[in-house]
Amino acid sequence: MSRALSSRSLSPSPSGRRSPARWLAALALIASPLALAACTADKAPGGAQASALSAPPAPLFTGALAQVVAMRRITESQYRNSIADIFGTDIKVAGRFEPIVRPVHELIATGGSASTISPAGLEQFDAMARGIAAQVFDADHRGWFVKCTPRNPKLADSACAAEALTPLGRYLFRRPMTGGELAAYVKMADAAATQTGDFHMGLQLALSAMLTSPNFLFIVESGEDDPASPGDLRLDNYSRAARLSFFLWNSTPGEALLTAAAEGRLTDAVQMAAIAQKMVQSPRIEAGVRAFFEDMLLFEKFDEMAKDNVVYPRFNADVAQALPEQMLRTIVDHLIFRDGDYRDLFTTRHTFVNRALGPLYQVPVSQSQGWVPLELPAADERAGILGQAGFLALYSHSGRSSPTLRGRAVRELLLCQPVPNPPGNVNFTAVQDVNSKTLHTARMRLNAHNTDPVCAACHKITDPLGLPLEKFDGIGAFRYTENKAPIDTNGVFEGVAFSGAVGLGKALAASKSTTECVASRALEYATGRHPGEETDLITGIEQGFEKQGYRMRSLFLQIATLPQAYRIKAPAMGTTPAAIAALGATPGGPTKIGAQP
Amino acid sequence: MIPSSTIGEGDPARSRRHARRAAALLAAGFLTIAAPHAVMAKVGPKVSGTKVSATKAPAAAKAATPAPLPAPPADGIMGFVMTSFSPAVHIGKDDCPEGPQGVLRDHYLETLPAPEATRLRLKVNEEELTSRWKKYAVGPDDTNICSQPQLFDRPPTRFLKGKVAQGINLDGDSGNGAGVPNGCAHENFFGPDGEPGVDNQYWRVQGCAEGVRGVNDAPGETTRGLNQFLLSGEHSQVLILRGVDSLVRDDDVEIIYANTEDRAIVDSNQKFLPGASYSVTRTPQYRNVLRGRIVNGVLTTQPVDIRLRQTWGQGGGRDIRGARSEWALRRSQLRLTFQPDGSLHGIVAGYQPLLNVIQSPSIGGIGAATAAGINCAGIYKALKLAADGDRDAGGQCTTISTAIEASAIPAFINDRPAGQKVAER
Repeated sequence: MSRALSSRSLSPSPSGRRSPARWLAALALIASPLALAACTADKAPGGAQASALSAPPAPLFTGALAQVVAMRRITESQYRNSIADIFGTDIKVAGRFEPIVRPVHELIATGGSASTISPAGLEQFDAMARGIAAQVFDADHRGWFVKCTPRNPKLADSACAAEALTPLGRYLFRRPMTGGELAAYVKMADAAATQTGDFHMGLQLALSAMLTSPNFLFIVESGEDDPASPGDLRLDNYSRAARLSFFLWNSTPGEALLTAAAEGRLTDAVQMAAIAQKMVQSPRIEAGVRAFFEDMLLFEKFDEMAKDNVVYPRFNADVAQALPEQMLRTIVDHLIFRDGDYRDLFTTRHTFVNRALGPLYQVPVSQSQGWVPLELPAADERAGILGQAGFLALYSHSGRSSPTLRGRAVRELLLCQPVPNPPGNVNFTAVQDVNSKTLHTARMRLNAHNTDPVCAACHKITDPLGLPLEKFDGIGAFRYTENKAPIDTNGVFEGVAFSGAVGLGKALAASKSTTECVASRALEYATGRHPGEETDLITGIEQGFEKQGYRMRSLFLQIATLPQAYRIKAPAMGTTPAAIAALGATPGGPTKIGAQP
Repeated sequence: MIPSSTIGEGDPARSRRHARRAAALLAAGFLTIAAPHAVMAKVGPKVSGTKVSATKAPAAAKAATPAPLPAPPADGIMGFVMTSFSPAVHIGKDDCPEGPQGVLRDHYLETLPAPEATRLRLKVNEEELTSRWKKYAVGPDDTNICSQPQLFDRPPTRFLKGKVAQGINLDGDSGNGAGVPNGCAHENFFGPDGEPGVDNQYWRVQGCAEGVRGVNDAPGETTRGLNQFLLSGEHSQVLILRGVDSLVRDDDVEIIYANTEDRAIVDSNQKFLPGASYSVTRTPQYRNVLRGRIVNGVLTTQPVDIRLRQTWGQGGGRDIRGARSEWALRRSQLRLTFQPDGSLHGIVAGYQPLLNVIQSPSIGGIGAATAAGINCAGIYKALKLAADGDRDAGGQCTTISTAIEASAIPAFINDRPAGQKVAER
């Protein structure tokens, strides 16, 4: 059980440390074979210290590693969550993460499946790893992770190093280390201890190497023979543990999941369903749902969002920071805390505001700090996720709103209907002239722009879904008029006419495309591969989603237990050592990319 | 200027929207909230009269056709955050015929025989002059003119000679004030619109100080500094108006005038944003309850002692940064005019204890005298001579009438009535 686990499952002591009695109580809980039930409310891994404290050390992997069938780079949030879960939330992760490139019309989750790490990116990972390792084995923390006493703290001690590194490796690699891996890391620790005259410096070096191993930086998925389909492969138990944990909780698998994997329970459909059911009922599902929607709604664009402060002086750094958080709070509140229907996410009047957003929404905020719930009046023209300033601002230009960007975002992100890019020789003059004396509103300007039939073809797809949002300016603030002209917010979707953001939300909520899209995205997110033409599979998932009242937990559970999601379609990449070697590491030994231990 | 894309354009439906939203929150069990009754509408820059500085209110100008005032919210509760709070400036051409108030160096030279002063003004004698005027700032036993101005008997700084000033007739007297109970004789001002009996002896003392008066139409350091303190939270202030039935006429309005610990919500140009939320201070003595009435769009309050927090800087208490003091305005009145854009503009007036007037340089101590050249002892002497309130047994008035020019914009204010326990994180 990790220190982080203790901080959630038990009341922390004033110093943030758990009392021994409480620690032992938590340990006993986790040590139980039935501990998974407890983990549903707990942090994930938590095994580092449990293993360190319990008599038998964490087991090593015996036999050959399974065939690697896929590798996905972990995201920044997954990295941070993993470190917090394994080592505790007081271990700081400082550094810049090389971004994972999002494939066009896909998710970062699928981009991670084809992502490599550049030399510059690896330097950052290495710097972060050294920083983490230094904290883990500093005088304040080492007691949590090194339960043995080195014979001489100024000398190498292979046995003690092995005892400390074995459980850590299991959590970092999401499987027990092989004997060869452990031996190499211990050798590294011994060499560094000898050179520096400090046993703990040796551990630091070994841990930093583990943290830059592909086995940590990538979610390595391995296949095994599928007894239900001879000749085919299915994900093995440890890969399933990682899949479940990263999909549902956006973090590394914890003790309970790793134990379940070791006992082969994750390839048993009934046992796996029970485990997944408990995981989706856990409060930690919030992290998974947040991460999913951050990916689905392209939240990385918030990092580069900029507004013209002459046009929008009220848009400042505090507002920019609050916008994505408001969207995520709305999403998890509706889908998880209220267990709401996904379709109602487009019409809900419940959201949250903080002081920074108060002036933008022109609503009171009753607390000086933090977020407070806001229920918009029934007659308000703002409702649903599309009425949130974050969505409206993100899909606008820096100095003006954009019905086209907004409509395209609705099409592509929420309906999974890709829209072609504009040709390179488009004349945008009419659209960009926001101070036109004759074309006062965006609709007028777009109508003028669309006299070119080449332009009109695509704008017919996007604009009817973007123009209804025109009562919100480029930062999502409400307006009655544009250039003193009334704003026409009529739109059409799937042959149904509606008006305004509320009407658009209702139209999307009524569309099968909306629910099929999120079902498809969830499958893509879980598996790290684009579902492509698997329309029957998507339809089946959507039907299951419908039967469960379009509840997000049910969708995640359905996908987490979907047998097809664990079948191997991609060609095998080879064995683990070979795959790792292909990334520049040392087969069979410590797997630090591009550097020898 | 609020961009056209973000304004309400005076649409009454918008006011109703705000009221509905606020009502929804109130129904949800949140605190009592004073709502902004209207978003700042798009208006031109404030009009300046010929005798009114650039910071003057449009109320002082003679508008041909006053723009209509917005309707108050249905619940009669309005909230505001102060966006300016600094000495009321009125620039008159005959105000300072002898020149500006000057600094300690000048005042020291004036104490010398003319030939000696002329000699010291020579560039070659600058070092000697500097040494001597700085010594003029200190007294025996490590005292100095700013930390202990009352220990120094120095000539008063120059008085303003003009006849017109902003302010309120606080004592009800339009003569020379000699007959005012507990007051002292003084020369009243006329207001910019000709109102007689205006009490603002602070302006009589400090009206020729460039730091207060400003230079070349630019606001003085005092004005800029005090308004900056509103932004930085050092003396941020809020208003709640309750029981407002009409912005044109209402005979009974309750006003909560208080500090807030919340930092200003500002735009990218460091301008206050309308519609932001603030909570009334947790310190009960800085939550002042006033009563007033509205006549012709002007809110006037009955005299009451007002206390407001003033923190000089944000540092710790070991030096002047972060030192705490307060505004103490005795028998204070507010006269604030509702503007068509939803804001308030006008005067906060009252009698200040004399040392409060120079509390900033007093806290600054010797540095204020020798670095900034502030002649605290000379100003203090002038304050004593001009003081017009709270006469003591010895016949010396101990407070001085002061007019503060104040502006406020609509905001949501969470009240913290005395004794109310507010659950907080």
